[in-house]
Amino acid sequence: MTLLIQYTLIFASVLLLVALGGCFSEHSGVINLGLEGIMVLGALGGALAMKYVPSSVPAVVMIFVVSLCAILMGMLYSALLGVAAIHFKADQTLIGTAMNIMSTAAATVIVKAINVAENPDNISSAITYTGARAAFTVRLGNFEFNWFILIAVCALIISNIVLYYTRFGLRLMACGENPQAADSVGINVYKMRWAGVLISGLLGGLGGIVYITAGVSEWKFEVGVAGFGFLALAVMIFGQWKPKRIALAALLFGFFRALSNVYTGFPFLAALNIPSTVYNMFPYIISLIVLAFTSRNSAAPKAEGIPYDKGSR
Amino acid sequence: MDTPYAIEMLNITKRFPGIIANDNITLQLKRGEIHALLGENGAGKSTLMSVLFGLYQAEEGIIKKDGKVVSIKNPNDANDLGIGMVHQHFKLVQCFTVLENIILGVETTKNGILQKDEARKKVMALSEKYGLMVDPDALIQDITVGMQQRTEILKMLYRDNEILIFDEPTAVLTPQEIAELMQIMKNLAKEGKSILFISHKLNEIMEVADRCTVLRRGKYIGTVDIKDTTQEELSRMMVGRDVQLVVEKGPAHPGEVVLDIRNMTVASKVHNNNAVKNVSLQVRSGEIVCIAGIDGNGQTEFVYGLSGLEPLVSGTITMLGKDITRATIRERAADMSHIPEDRHKHGLVLDYSLEYNIVLQRYWQPEFTKNGFLDQKAIRNYAERLIEENDVRSGQGAITTTRAMSGGNQQKAIIAREIDKKHELLLAVQPTRGLDVGAIETVHRNLIRERDSGKAVLLISLELEEVMNVADRILVMYEGEIVGDLDPKQITVEELGLYMAGAKRNTVKEGA
Amino acid sequence: MNGKDSFFRRPGVQTFLSSIICVVFGLLLGYIILLLINAKGASAGIVTLLKNYMNYPTRPAQMKYLGNTLVKMAPLLMCALSICFCYKAGLFNIGAAGQYVVGAGACLYGALSLKLPWIACLLFSIVIGALWGMIVGALKAYLNVNEVISGIMLNWIGLYLVNMSLAPVKELASPYTQKVAAVNKAALLPSMGLSSLFSKNQYVTIAIPLSILTAIVLWVVLNKTAFGYELKATGYNKEASRYAGMREKRNIIITLMIGGALAGTGAAFLYLTGFEEWSVTQSSVPGMGFNGIAATFLGGLSPIGTIFASYFIQHITSGGAYLDKAIYPSQISDLIIALIIYLCGFVLFFKTVMNSRRPAKVTSNANDTEKKGGKAQ
Repeated sequence: MTLLIQYTLIFASVLLLVALGGCFSEHSGVINLGLEGIMVLGALGGALAMKYVPSSVPAVVMIFVVSLCAILMGMLYSALLGVAAIHFKADQTLIGTAMNIMSTAAATVIVKAINVAENPDNISSAITYTGARAAFTVRLGNFEFNWFILIAVCALIISNIVLYYTRFGLRLMACGENPQAADSVGINVYKMRWAGVLISGLLGGLGGIVYITAGVSEWKFEVGVAGFGFLALAVMIFGQWKPKRIALAALLFGFFRALSNVYTGFPFLAALNIPSTVYNMFPYIISLIVLAFTSRNSAAPKAEGIPYDKGSR
Repeated sequence: MDTPYAIEMLNITKRFPGIIANDNITLQLKRGEIHALLGENGAGKSTLMSVLFGLYQAEEGIIKKDGKVVSIKNPNDANDLGIGMVHQHFKLVQCFTVLENIILGVETTKNGILQKDEARKKVMALSEKYGLMVDPDALIQDITVGMQQRTEILKMLYRDNEILIFDEPTAVLTPQEIAELMQIMKNLAKEGKSILFISHKLNEIMEVADRCTVLRRGKYIGTVDIKDTTQEELSRMMVGRDVQLVVEKGPAHPGEVVLDIRNMTVASKVHNNNAVKNVSLQVRSGEIVCIAGIDGNGQTEFVYGLSGLEPLVSGTITMLGKDITRATIRERAADMSHIPEDRHKHGLVLDYSLEYNIVLQRYWQPEFTKNGFLDQKAIRNYAERLIEENDVRSGQGAITTTRAMSGGNQQKAIIAREIDKKHELLLAVQPTRGLDVGAIETVHRNLIRERDSGKAVLLISLELEEVMNVADRILVMYEGEIVGDLDPKQITVEELGLYMAGAKRNTVKEGA
Repeated sequence: MNGKDSFFRRPGVQTFLSSIICVVFGLLLGYIILLLINAKGASAGIVTLLKNYMNYPTRPAQMKYLGNTLVKMAPLLMCALSICFCYKAGLFNIGAAGQYVVGAGACLYGALSLKLPWIACLLFSIVIGALWGMIVGALKAYLNVNEVISGIMLNWIGLYLVNMSLAPVKELASPYTQKVAAVNKAALLPSMGLSSLFSKNQYVTIAIPLSILTAIVLWVVLNKTAFGYELKATGYNKEASRYAGMREKRNIIITLMIGGALAGTGAAFLYLTGFEEWSVTQSSVPGMGFNGIAATFLGGLSPIGTIFASYFIQHITSGGAYLDKAIYPSQISDLIIALIIYLCGFVLFFKTVMNSRRPAKVTSNANDTEKKGGKAQ
């Protein structure tokens, strides 16, 4: 039972972080289908930091450095979307797809290159970080508390304040709803969209490192992040682009993911003999149903996905 | 401050690829005056104002504020100089409140948090001072067009703008709302604001403006004092010739009932009420029935319901004695031609060639499709005939991409297509929208020719002049209901305005 | 002067040039990455990648491995055609990846569990793929669900569903499904003598010519038929096509069903050759459908261009396998392909540059004469 709660919380944290990232990007008017890719690169940044920072440093320093590297990688990678979508009016679906394919390939190439350079016989795409990972967690009896859960909660509170109570949030959302109107009152739409995309890189990158350190001490980058970026997209839609609802959606979807990992520990679930794939499938099915019922009056930002052209005012 | 002018635009020239939008134009706005800028569509009014507002940069010419040369590179610069603009299409965020829209871009914050209460106080004070009634906490998507416009005016006042530009502000208002707006503009001028009023409506200019600058085809024609001029003179300056404002037409000879609508009700797309309520009407062959009304009173939904684009909530439609209430769009199109309100949204596939657009309603007929394959040759021949007959002008003839054609020629192509196609009823929705005077005349003549050849014509129009000149019978639509059945020969424009504003009605609602 | 200018202004030429630019830049970036990893072997590496089957010394060996590249090109082309066809109707069928997945599940289930002959397995894939596409289409047509989002959800649902339904027919010792050739020979696609052209490469089947034929048929449908006219009109302007009486909802559903059927067929074209088996533990959606997006855009969104683009992409993907694994990871090819897709996003920009390269004065004159010419008509 504790294990279920623990997994639920940590998976929900990942989904919350990444979905909030998507939420910022979409509120600025850019659809970010590359969240999965951003997660992979963020995970890579964090994993490399864990590999090279000696595990003897204080836990706070470790958390800080690892998060920072993940965030920087995520933001750097999201800039690929920013350049293409904001300045070159590229198809955002196409760019997002390219970013997802590229992320796994790039991360694998980088990790393999590093591994081979260290030891010519090691052509695996895995990074091990047993020591460093210990810094992230605190044992409370059976329960393994992960500091990233706290960080995710902070991200939720800050996101909610930023979006609804600050000048930045008001302007960001204006750019996603009606960029022409924002421009006419002197708001730089391009700058706000960059801000939205980079924040999604920040949160997506952070989500990536949280995901790969959630339960294991080694990650094979060939497998990417197993669709968590897409699941976060589903969370964002289920949460109707609103941080508080996104948090609830993240908990729900995190719960299903956790179930698929630990259901064998519950006699009555194990007795049902439902394969874990069913639990994995559930969040997507629910999202699809929610989409079916909400899409007529969608809460999605109205101008999302439409490149902004100063000339067409 | 030794000049009486708040803003001077001197010898402004702005070119776009292929055209000179503004050719050496000068406009001087005095402090505290209402200055009208008059011109037809495409005369260069909007370009000139975009230059003043910093949306475009002029190639030649200078702009002076209070006698000093200034450079306006973007809307921020314009705002810093105290220039504000109410755009023709409101620049409002639909899911924000009135207050949020007003403060957007000039928000006050404390420790990074928005201070909405202060802003609300200032907005309420301004709204009282100038008589601009708004509910600051209502969402834009829930309020009337008039209130949206007042929000736009408050946006300028909130920024303490001294120079206010109104771009065609009356197009979407009822006559009564227009009167209110005129009063607001006079109040603003009295308080020392300088106002630029862009319009092509002569009576409004005569009523409210102090001076008027006229543009024609990108050129400066002149500036006149309103008290020294007449509507006729302004009209001559605007179009360069005397305009025949009345279309020649003989009396109508109504015949059989072609279209019979009973108790039609259509749901709205934007709110939960019905947009069209219990409308009944008949159109006979050989007459032009016109549905008049202010934009947004259910005309669009009525047309969608009639053409089959939207289902009816209740009611029946009978055409030539046949019930078509549940017929598909294509089944209805067998006897109904439809010139749509929005030619870019509905009327044309802009990325298709002209010839493909000309067969848009008929491509599937055996004449153009054999065994599922398009007969390119038949399409070409047919398109070329219509292009020739209707003088549709384009760069490369039948294979021109429609997007590259002018609005007037696009409309000609649509009208040619709809009139040539087999039909008994012609449904023409704002067929002259965005056209210049010459093109409008052609469209009106086409409608009358249709009538005289025994077709039933149902015209939906927002232009009072068009309604009065072309219609044989006027039905006024207000808030989704037909509130008047009028004879254009026995009614004045003012009276029509009262019906359109819902202040008067003469038909008894059936079954109510 | 005008001759040359108008040549570069032809849409077809511009599309072709844009694709070439994407490929050249993509390869260049790939080369730089090789240089960064190991400068010494980089030149040889990129040549190896591009040579693909030509790395073999003898002609029979070359033909055999060209065959392998073509075997994998066929499913890629089908996925690309699926995306291309839907894109013409204004639908971004990112769900092709999932339609491919369920197609794979269907034909393998048919071959291994139900022991059906190949034609039935193929039909099964087509039907299930079409069904998967139909769900996206129906959601879009009736409930206004964005096809990209629902497509993504269905990709994952499909993946888990297929993993589950193929679990009973997997090998005992590995996560892979049993070999079709071993369990049910009748389920293998016939070769019709094609394999002898490729040094008896048993995997070369009718799938290859069929996929190319499909591309040609789609080109004809899109450009010569009333159905194609409707689809493209819907893609350009949904509202106008409704106004013209086209049944938009029906067309959306049919388009996505055809798209789904194409992607599903693609899967059958691979798994019914016995070239690969399905791993029932895979945790991410196979890249075939996503690479199809690359081929579609690289092919200039034309079914014919897509044939060449699919071949090229498969060519360098296969080429990646010949890199020296002790120096370079084979994922370099995936990286280059991803870079090319990314660059395809800039095609609009490339075209704008090509259109604006002429001196401004000439342009305005040309426009003037065009206008005058128009008026004179």
